[in-house]
Formats: sequence, structure tokens, C-alpha cells
Amino acid sequence: MPKKTGVIFFPAFDWAISPTHPEREERLLYTRDQIFEEGIMDLPQIHEFAPRLATLKDITRTHFCVPQVQNQVTEAHLIAAGSVMQLGDSVVSGESQNGFAIVRPPGHHAMRVVHGNRGFCNINNEAILVDYLRHQHGIRKIAIVDSDVHHGDGTQDIFYHDPDVLFISFHQDGRTIYPGTGFTSELGGPGAYARTLNVPLPPGTTDETFMYVLDNLVLPVVKDFQPELIINSAGQDNHYSDPLGSMRFTARAYADFTKKLKPHLAVLEGGYAIETALPYVNLAIILALAEIDYTNVKEPDYVPGKFKESPEKVAQVHRMVEHLSEIWANKAQVDVPKIFGTGKYYRRNKFIYYDTDYIEEKQKEQVRMCPDCPGYLSIASQAERGHRTSVRVYTISIPFQACPSCQCEAYDIYEQAKKQQEYEFVYLQDKLTDTYWTYAKNKRQEWITEGQVE
Amino acid sequence: MYIGIDVGGTSTNAVLLENGLVRNSATVPSSADIITSLLEALEQIIANVSSESIERIVLSTTLITNLIAEKKYAPVGLMLIPGPGLSHGYYQYQTDTYILSGAIDYRGRETMPLIDDEIDQAINGLNAKGYKKVAVVGKFSVRDNSHELKVVSRIKDLHPDWHVEMGHQVAGQLNFPRRVVSTMLACATRDKYAFFVESVQEALRSRGISGSVYILKADGGTMPLNKVTGIPIETIFSGPAASTLGVQALIPPGETSVVVDIGGTTTDLALILSGQPLLSSKGVPVYEQLTQVRALAVKSVAVGGDSLVQRVGQEIKVLPERLGPPFCLGGPMPTPTDALRVLGLAGVGDAEQASEAMDMLGSPLGMSYSEVAQRIIDLVVDAIVQQIKYMFTQWEQEPAYRVWEVLQKRKERPEMVVGVGGGAAGFITQIAAKLGADPVLPPYAPVANAIGAAVAIPTLQVDLRADTERGFYTVEQEGYQGKIEKKRFTEEDVLLLAEEWLKKRAGNHGLSNPVDNPEITRRDVFNLVRNWSTTGRIYDISVQTPRGIINYIGAKGGCSDA
Repeated sequence: MPKKTGVIFFPAFDWAISPTHPEREERLLYTRDQIFEEGIMDLPQIHEFAPRLATLKDITRTHFCVPQVQNQVTEAHLIAAGSVMQLGDSVVSGESQNGFAIVRPPGHHAMRVVHGNRGFCNINNEAILVDYLRHQHGIRKIAIVDSDVHHGDGTQDIFYHDPDVLFISFHQDGRTIYPGTGFTSELGGPGAYARTLNVPLPPGTTDETFMYVLDNLVLPVVKDFQPELIINSAGQDNHYSDPLGSMRFTARAYADFTKKLKPHLAVLEGGYAIETALPYVNLAIILALAEIDYTNVKEPDYVPGKFKESPEKVAQVHRMVEHLSEIWANKAQVDVPKIFGTGKYYRRNKFIYYDTDYIEEKQKEQVRMCPDCPGYLSIASQAERGHRTSVRVYTISIPFQACPSCQCEAYDIYEQAKKQQEYEFVYLQDKLTDTYWTYAKNKRQEWITEGQVE
Repeated sequence: MYIGIDVGGTSTNAVLLENGLVRNSATVPSSADIITSLLEALEQIIANVSSESIERIVLSTTLITNLIAEKKYAPVGLMLIPGPGLSHGYYQYQTDTYILSGAIDYRGRETMPLIDDEIDQAINGLNAKGYKKVAVVGKFSVRDNSHELKVVSRIKDLHPDWHVEMGHQVAGQLNFPRRVVSTMLACATRDKYAFFVESVQEALRSRGISGSVYILKADGGTMPLNKVTGIPIETIFSGPAASTLGVQALIPPGETSVVVDIGGTTTDLALILSGQPLLSSKGVPVYEQLTQVRALAVKSVAVGGDSLVQRVGQEIKVLPERLGPPFCLGGPMPTPTDALRVLGLAGVGDAEQASEAMDMLGSPLGMSYSEVAQRIIDLVVDAIVQQIKYMFTQWEQEPAYRVWEVLQKRKERPEMVVGVGGGAAGFITQIAAKLGADPVLPPYAPVANAIGAAVAIPTLQVDLRADTERGFYTVEQEGYQGKIEKKRFTEEDVLLLAEEWLKKRAGNHGLSNPVDNPEITRRDVFNLVRNWSTTGRIYDISVQTPRGIINYIGAKGGCSDA
């Protein structure tokens, strides 16, 4: 029997950020109505899976939640992340040919360090999946394509220095929409140059230009990267009816995109045209994944030729695609010291704004420029929450590909940071041994993974 | 006194219950005519009973199952209004199907109008092909039935004699393809069912029986036996429901158990979780077509007492077919019943012939006849145990759409394995042992299905969806669509309205007790927010009468005269 498309539908009908927030119970109500009325779950090509809970350790493998995971996630978050992992297992084991997690809450704005909610996200479902697949199934090379109207800044942040994760985000130009990032100059760190590619599109971009970017940049780059697995952060707010975005994509284009990209896993992100877009876009994506004819899926108010783009904007996108294609093609010849400098470490400062929780975070990020591995990473982070006292934390992350010398040095740095007594919390993520440490200054206590050692 | 009659494929069982005790029971072979079998069994149990003392009769029959299996009905034409979505090529129902333009969306708004000419053309087309039965089904017709009503009124104008069924009245849940099949089958079976009802009523009248009469449904509920109430197709597959309810009545309340009904070539399995039979989460398939008919979660395994056992190479295999009775009863080939006979687990048939059957299989393999017998029993037991485990796993892996549903998921394993049916006795101990449960062979196991029919009462449900922004509400079970009159329509108002409808339904279903404690099984409230302000609410509320049975058997002191 041919393999099926796995679907987890978890609309969280009893969970909301607040009663009138876009992330409220109603968000997937009409999507539920549409896919149930169509009888999609009965189709022989579809297998509906039950959601499952991620463990706290699954979250710790990816994030530094301040002060602890329990403070940043609700059960709904654990179910959303767990559902994505469930589908990941099913695809990797060969049970499903691909999968679609239509789950909420979303996650692609959640960065490595989590002080609160930003862009409706607390934890990053796709990043948790990637780390889980690496830990559980030994998968190395993964491509993530983010089709949300907002830049997938959280996912970019988490994999910025990882040469084995290709992250491509196309989105509405950051000068016109949250989170204000995702420009062509953001290309990854010294050890992962061009593994991050951003395609900021002008407001009003239509299906035609979307397909141009897909055919001329996204598909060739993904193919060239040769990932073991492709993940799509399937935000749906590029749709022409979205209240937060200003783009002009249709459900049909989302389906064409899915059909061409052939992601192993699609994960719902944003999309807040809950009546006019989501029922149709979600239906179209499911059908495309299951290789079922989707040409009869259309929005009631759509007529072909409804949207036109200005030729200047189109030409501008074409030039950008050419520019990024060149960067990708020539990435091996790039002069790393010229761009990133020389020395043992590469350092950068980041300012991160949490729009939902009104937190302002300053980060000093440092990655070791190691000849043998992507290098361990450390972040000194300070978060201001209005009038409350600021929180200072220090985090160290040892990647899956780390060499012994980086691993050793990371542990030394962790011990030093504990002694310094400068940070409220010090964290160490050792992905090599799947061990996670947290040190709390005021209690002089240390936790390992989920347990307490002292 | 209560009477339960189960007309099965091979035999008809009947019981007479009085104060929770089995006063009388009968088993007769089923004949080709259901009414004949039914009356024959009835006569036997009421022989010494005054007809006035019979308060209630519940029937479980294969009427609908047979009608559909043998396609004994006039062809039904389809007029479908699917609108955009899945490609129309997917709607293949092996009958003349006319696709009409028009569309309704998930909130019951028209997004594409009907085209009058198309409707007329479709009606003319069906007429030219000789159809007199038509099912009219629209996508999202349960949210707004105006398209279906309009098409049907046009049919009635042109052909007042045609029998027409509408999707929104037959199958209220969301699922258009299933609604099509359910409506088509409802249309196919309605008049034959009405004929059956009349015949039964006539037969009972002539015997002076005036108690209320019900028919058992696939979900273990009952509906009054009259021509107009309910949807005949819902009485399909009532047999497994009857057995399961019978077991529920025969074991202590509140237990988690698995019901194993071992027949000639198939074994039916059903689950009772904490005292309640498990319903399937979706409708049952009827001859491979998915419907919206709710049924108990039942699984069939293709093994039974008469299954053919053969040696295939070096292996002994139990095959999913029957060539005749067991060898020890003069049949042609070895069967699991022969194995039971050899091991002394069954008393039927000739012992020497049973041993011979085992030798036929075992001697080329150098196995003794008792080794062969044990091997066969193991194969049967393993096949059944595997399916039981699978059923529990499937139940645990049901999708969940709310946080609380995911968090309350639990793992359950049976405390009891309850055997019913002719072949159960020999296998039940070993099945129970493998599951770490207690084997139970209840008294009256052979007539458990008739007991199940006798104790069945309807569980009535009302799924009410109110959309305050659009100002209307729908009742799924009734295909009803009404206006919300109150300006401020609160959650309390919705609950009251749902309970009112539940009472109305209870009246229609002959539930004598008023509905005192309706159970609220779903209570979803969706704030509708448009442009950052709340514009209304959608309430999705389900209430139901408490699930249960009329009484437990022997609860007042064990077996009486059997």
C-alpha cells in the first residue's frame, strides 16, 4: 500500500493567549469545519494521528527558557511541539510519506533564549523537531523553508551558526511588518555562511512572483543542499485576505508551492484570516501533500486576474533572486575573515523585542570559530521588563557536531560563569550527551535536565 | 415484563424479563422471512403470559443489513451540491449522479447560487432513466438547508410521487461524502422499513399485545417502531450492539471488559469501558461505503469454531473460510472445534473423529494429536488477543482537539474477558490468561443478544450549534435550523435551549421519564472577533441523557429458572 500523509489537527479549542487575541480558540474553527465536511480524514491517502505531549527535556534540548521551561510553556505548547515530533517520528520511520501539523500555538518567532512570548510564540516547534530528529534518529542535514508573511526570526536565530541546517525565509519586507528583520544581508554566521537566506518581498507580491522566487531560488538551493529532510514553516498570512499581512498569495499558490517543494513536514505557523483564508489554504496544503487534485479548492471571492503587480517591483524581486543565487553559488569561495574578522571568536550584539510581553532583551552572542566543528556558542542576555528588575542570564550551547575541545571549553566556561555570580541563571546545553544544566545564583542550586542534583 | 428479540443470520433468540430476572428464553433457527422468525420466537416465550403484562418489546433485526447486502431496493438517484473543495470526480457512488452549481460555506452563508435550469435538467435526466427515489445532498447543508429545500420543492412540483430524502435531515454531522451515502441508504430503505413496521404492528395487534415496541440501533439505543420516527439505516448492525448490551446487563456495573462473541467463522469483539460500551468515534462503513451511522466500536476477526484448518508446508494455519461443520460433527475438514474436543474443552461431536482430524494435520509433521490441537487453539487465541490489544491502542490513539482531552487520555486494560456465542466457552479462559484478565462466561450467554435488546434504552443526544453573529442555531440530530430571538444570547440560554430540545426528543422517542440530569458532553465557546472587537459567539454544546440500560440481570439474586 502506498504510504499516507500523516495529519495532526490540534486546534486547541480550549486555549487562547487572551479572549480577543488572534491566537484564540476560534482560529482553526472554520478550518475544522472545512476539512471535516470535506471528509478529508476519511480519504485513503490520509492518516490522522493523535497529538502527544513533548517532554520538558525536548524543550530544553533547543531552548534556554528563563528561568525554567515550566515558566514559559503551557500544556498547549507541549502538545503543539509534541504533535510535530509525533509526525516527525512517523515520517522518519517510513510509516508516513509526509505530514502536516495543523497545530497551535505557533513557534517560529521563538529564539534560542526565551524570556517570554514574542510574535505569539513561546517555543519553536520546528527547531524542537530538528533537535529531536538529530538526537533520536541521527538525522544531520535539514532544510527549513518558512512561508509565513513574517520573517522566521526565531528559527533563523537558533540555526544561524549551524552549517547543516539550511534556513530560507521569504516574507513581506521587514521595513513594513513585524519583526522588522529578514533582510538579504542576514546570511548566517562564519561557520554557516549562506545557510540562512532571506527573501524580503514587497507588499502586494502576487502568486506569479511567489512562483518565480520558488522556481529560481528556493527549489534550486534546496536541491543543491541535499537535505535528508525538508520542513516547511507553513504560515498562511501571505494570503491576500490576511488582516496582518499585505501580500496577495492564494490558496492555490500555497498548494502549488507545497507540491513543488515536497516538504516531509509542514507545520502551521501564522495566518489570521481565519474565515477567508485558513479553511481553504489548509485544505489545499493537505491535498497537495497527499497528491490529490486540489484545483477545485478556491476562495469564494477569488477570480483569476484579481491582483496585479507593478513591473518595477517584479524586476526588483528578480534582481534580488539573482543576487541571492550568486551568494549561494559562490558560498565556498567567500572570504570569511573579510566578512567576520579573524580571531578565536566571532561576536555580535543583538537587540530583541518581545511584542506580546513587552520585554526588551540585549544579547552578546559569541561563537568559537573552530576549525574542526561549528563551535560552541554562548550568549549573555539581559532582559528588561518595564519597571521590574532586569534579568541577566548566561547560556552556553554545545552543538551536536561539536569537537571534544569545544565541548571541554564550554564546560569550563560554564563553571566560570557559575563562579562569577554575575548572572541570575547560567545554563549549559550539551547536545552531544543530551544533558542540560541550569544554575540558579540566588538559591545556589543546580538542575540537570529535569532533575535536581543539589 | 420486557421482551427482547434478536433475529440473527442463523438463529433467532428471544427472552422475557421480569423484575430483572430472565423468566423465559427461546432459540429458533432463523428463516428467510424475518417476521416469521420473530413471531415464532415470540410465541415460545409468551406461551404462559398474559399479553397485557407485556410492557415493552425491543427488536434487533438484520432487516436493513439484508436489504442493503442483497440490494433489494429500487435505485436511488443523486443530486449533489458540493461547490468548491475536493474535486467532483471523487464523488462516485455507482448511481446516476447530478452535480448542481451552488455552494454554502461553513457558517451557512450562500457563496454561490443554485441555477434553476440545472435543477430542472437533472430532474428530467433522472426521470428519463426511471428514477423515483432521489437523495439531495449539499456540502454544509447542515449549516444552511435552503439549497436542499429549494431543490426538493422543485422535485415535488414536478413529481409529487417521488420519494426524496435530504442530507440535512439524515446526517447532521460535518462530513459531506458520508452524508451522501447515509442519505442514499436512508432513501433506499425507508419504504421497505415502513412495510416491516406495519407487518410487525399488525402481528402484535392480532395477539393482543399493546405494549410499546422499539427497534434497536447500531449504537445500542432504541427508537420507537413506527413509520415516521428516526432513520431506518441506523438500525443496521444492531446484532453486535445487542450482544454487548446483553453482557453489560450480565456483568457487574462499572467494569472494563472485552466482549468476545465467537461464532462459526467470525469473532466479534466489543469493549465495555468502565461499564459503558465504547462507541466508534466515526460512523460505520456499510459495505465499504463510509456513513454517518453511529455504532458501537466493534471489530471482527475472521476466526471461529468452524474455520478451516489446513497444513501449509510445515505450518498449520487457520483460514478465514468455512467448508462445513467440524470434522467431529461429520464435516469435511479439521476445525478449531475439533481441537477443543480433543483437549476436552468442548463436548460436542465424536471424540475419535476429532482426534483423527488432528492426526490428519499432525502426522506428516511428527506431531501428536494433542500437540496439534494445542497449536490450533493458540493460533485462534493469538489472533483474537492481537485484535483486542489493537482495539485498546486504537481507542487510546483517537484524535483530540482540546487540551483537556489530551491530558485526560488514559491507558485501560480489560479486567474481564466475557465470552458469548456458541464457540466462546472453549477459548475464553486462554484469551483472558493472555490479557491478564478474568474469564467470564455469564449465565444466559447464548441468549445475551436478546437480553441486550430487552434492556436497551435510548441515549438521546442534542448537538446544538448557535451562531449569535448570524442569529441562528441548528440541532444536528433533528436537521433543525432556527432563528435566535433573544438579543443577548448567553451560554446559559444555549444550555437551556439544548435541554429543551433534549426533552422534546425524549418525548418523540417514548422515554417515559423526563430528562432530569442531562449530561453536558461538550461545551465549546468561540469568541468571534472582527477588527479587534467581539462581534458574537459560536456555541457548540452537546447534551445527552445518561447512558445506561433498563436493568442489570440477576442483580436481585442470581439465576432464576432458565
